[in-house]
Amino acid sequence: MHSRLASSGDLPPWAAVLACVLALVSLGVLLALELRRRERGGPSIVATGVVAVAALVLAVLRPVRVAARESVVGAKVVVLVDGSRSMDLPGDDGPRHVARDRAAKEIAGLAKEARLVTMSFGDGAPRVVSDGAPIGSDARSDLAAALRALGTSAEERPRALVVISDGRLDEPSAEATEAALRALGETLRVPIHTVATTRRVLADASVRRVSTAGAAVAHVPLPLRVEIGCEGALACDSLTVTARELREDGPPAVLASGLAKVKDGRAVVDLSVTLDRAGTRIVEVAVTPPSGDELPDNDRRLLTLNVARERVRILHVAGRPTHDTRALRQWLKSNASADIVAFFILRTSSDNPNARQEDLSLIPFPVDELFTEHLPSFDAIVLQDFDAQPYGLERHLPAVARYVRSGGGLIMVGGPNSFVAGGYADTPLAGVLPVALDGTPGATAADVAPFVPSWTDDGRAAPLLEPLRSLAGEELPPMPGANVVGDVREGAIALWTHPQRKTKAGAPMPILAIGDQGDGRSVALAVDGGWLLEFSQLGARTGGRGHGALWDGLVGWLMRDPRFEPAQLELVGGCVADVPARLRVRVPPSGASPDAPLVVELRRLDDDSPPARVELKRPTGGGVAEAKLPPLAAGGYTARVRLGTGPTTRRDFACERGGDEWADSRPDAERLERLAGATRATFRWAGGDMRVPLPPPTVVSAERHVVPFAPSWVWTLAAAIALGVHWVARRRGGLS
Amino acid sequence: MVVAPALLVLTAPRPARAFGDVGAFDPRALVVSGAEGPAHPSAPSRWSWELIQRTSAPARAKPSSVRADDPHIVDGPFLFLSGTRPLPALSAAEIAGLRRYFALGGLLLVDDSAVDAGGQPSEFGKSARREIARVLPDQSPIPLGPEHVLFRTFYLLKRAEGRVAGPKTLEAIVRSGSAQVVFTNHDVTGALARGVTGAWELPVTPGGDVQRERAIRLAVNIAMYVLCSNYKDDQVHAPFLMRRRALSPRP
Repeated sequence: MHSRLASSGDLPPWAAVLACVLALVSLGVLLALELRRRERGGPSIVATGVVAVAALVLAVLRPVRVAARESVVGAKVVVLVDGSRSMDLPGDDGPRHVARDRAAKEIAGLAKEARLVTMSFGDGAPRVVSDGAPIGSDARSDLAAALRALGTSAEERPRALVVISDGRLDEPSAEATEAALRALGETLRVPIHTVATTRRVLADASVRRVSTAGAAVAHVPLPLRVEIGCEGALACDSLTVTARELREDGPPAVLASGLAKVKDGRAVVDLSVTLDRAGTRIVEVAVTPPSGDELPDNDRRLLTLNVARERVRILHVAGRPTHDTRALRQWLKSNASADIVAFFILRTSSDNPNARQEDLSLIPFPVDELFTEHLPSFDAIVLQDFDAQPYGLERHLPAVARYVRSGGGLIMVGGPNSFVAGGYADTPLAGVLPVALDGTPGATAADVAPFVPSWTDDGRAAPLLEPLRSLAGEELPPMPGANVVGDVREGAIALWTHPQRKTKAGAPMPILAIGDQGDGRSVALAVDGGWLLEFSQLGARTGGRGHGALWDGLVGWLMRDPRFEPAQLELVGGCVADVPARLRVRVPPSGASPDAPLVVELRRLDDDSPPARVELKRPTGGGVAEAKLPPLAAGGYTARVRLGTGPTTRRDFACERGGDEWADSRPDAERLERLAGATRATFRWAGGDMRVPLPPPTVVSAERHVVPFAPSWVWTLAAAIALGVHWVARRRGGLS
Repeated sequence: MVVAPALLVLTAPRPARAFGDVGAFDPRALVVSGAEGPAHPSAPSRWSWELIQRTSAPARAKPSSVRADDPHIVDGPFLFLSGTRPLPALSAAEIAGLRRYFALGGLLLVDDSAVDAGGQPSEFGKSARREIARVLPDQSPIPLGPEHVLFRTFYLLKRAEGRVAGPKTLEAIVRSGSAQVVFTNHDVTGALARGVTGAWELPVTPGGDVQRERAIRLAVNIAMYVLCSNYKDDQVHAPFLMRRRALSPRP
């Protein structure tokens, strides 16, 4: 229990101060002015005056004795330690996080009177660091976000902050002004002391930043601005920078390259890359480092680009004009999101138009031009009732097969000149169709018996046929015949089959089949009566919309439109090399084979390592399943989810060891010093003098007892008597 | 030596002959109750024959016909109506049938077989226009000149011609950018008609056989428009066709 003197509790502090000041002024006037005019009795005047003033002051203050149980509470001080991946980089003495942890420990030892809370900042709100618990390795170092989160927190606000970092922060940036740094301190209205962990600058050439101008669109050049850094006395006057697309179907494709002229440790190179395939694509931007580079991990960055399509570019090649050709053309031309390049064979060598060449509107079919230089510019190719042999397409079939495997789309539509009759059996193109073709001599090319296609269970469950099913149910128009095709190939499924005809394996013959082919997809429609979905009794009942609904689904699935995907894939929280990642799989409620396993297949894009498989329990009635991926090495990956035996849904992603945090390995102590200066705080180096001025502790009282020394009337009476005595002394001394 | 080709024929994949005929061009005659049938019954099969001979397009050797009130009117995207006598008023069922057909995007050719030598529409032509106006009351015909794709779907034509030279242009009701009803004042099917002996049924005036050839070419172009729509409007053809038009002598 502590006790002390205090003025009466009903007296505001300013009144007590005013009383004391007035008392001092009165004494001053008495001593300095009035005593000069006295005639005698100076000491008695002074003595009685001092007593009277003191009595008056005591009458105003009415002193009390306060007895209370008191405790000292240290000020809350938050130590924000950098929890980003850059702390794993080499520092003065081992990794930077060693110096960070040591500095935090030293501050805790020095600030005995403060209540220290250690938190790590990185991506978003800071997290409390428990004693001995490892600090995470965030992909960002956003100090501003951490301060904002502390400012808006409902918990007790800190009275001081200590930031321990290497200074390489996302926010505040290196370009932040003094005012911006000061504003950061005003978020909490506290000083922000800073401690820099390292002085060491690595000998390091790196791709510091890659910025794109706008969104990536297929077939449209995308400008890339690449910032190269070179520090630590490396010989890097000029460095080669390359941009490559990591592809599943082969080695990385070089998209662009340039030479970076390094000046003052920095260079900027502008590259232009054109990606032909839409979807998530992994582009590697790499610099060829000079010898002596201490950090090879940041010599390349892996960009995950979400390549959109401005318009789907489709090559439509028809072997002869028919109602089916017309219907497909009209649908394609009415599709505002499609850009169509069409070539129809209107005249064969056996036709006699009975006219001079100049009277005809026919143009030569530029088969070589289309299937060589222009081939990569198409998102999909539709070969409709087209015979490969007479028009020289045969020699381009290997290129078309490569095009499909590297991400292109292919639809083969039936007719008398399609599939086996078109000479595609035993060609490279047959290898990328979803159905097998019989190339044996005498193989039957077509079944001319009319029939109505049957829906398979896969067809009923396929999202791509949902628009058609919602219009027409399971009713399909009678078809005049079909191309004879074989069994569906591995990774493909049949959506419609022939009701009577069987394949050699005894399965119903596929009529409509879809399948994955490497990075691309293909569709086989083994009839030429698709137009009957438009012009028929069924077509009249559905307003002729069935044909468009079918093709909307087919082309949409080919282009990986999410509406028609059998599942959705999402990488949760990104991927860090050598750290387990999570992949979220969303599967539809219905399915052809609900008991079929849900398999996620993981394949590295930039080397030939065998794919990893993760089998998941399929959520009952559809929903979300999460796959925990094994720790992955740095690189590009493609994840495919397969429901049963059908085509897969894929997602490409990149795993980096350091990411943005390692892109620029230089520490930035100057930024920390500026921050401390702007908030009137102290900057320190880790390993040096770590004392920082911290706020004093707060005294908290409990069980308070207040006892007056005397009742108020006693003080008043004493003051009156003292004043009276003083008045008498003054009168005797000749003062008024 | 004789056996080898025969073996090759036997071992090659057998072509699918009948398969694919359903999508072939079918010059279906539209039959209206109370009216005569097609003015030139032999013309549709000749039309198919010419198309098969001259182009890669398949065509029905035995074209069909359909009544306007028949539910099967919607079974194909092309109809033609020809006649020499005034067309009676269409019944409500016929109007409904034709509207269903047009709603799907079907094309109707109205060929005036009784047109006079100057190309003035006959009573058939006038009545056909009147009845089509009842089916499609919101649209009226507009002239189609040589700039329209119909004049370059296969042959490059400078004007329309049939059994009579008539006006240089066709007329059409255009809906959603496509000609859905094409009116000719040229008796195009008259130029195609053949008698049982195989001889041309009607003389072509004033141009004779040269004009008949141009009339056949127009018929081929109409068939190609049915099968390819506006394919020849594609940008890829533009430079080539412009060059060819520039080279050809002006009329």
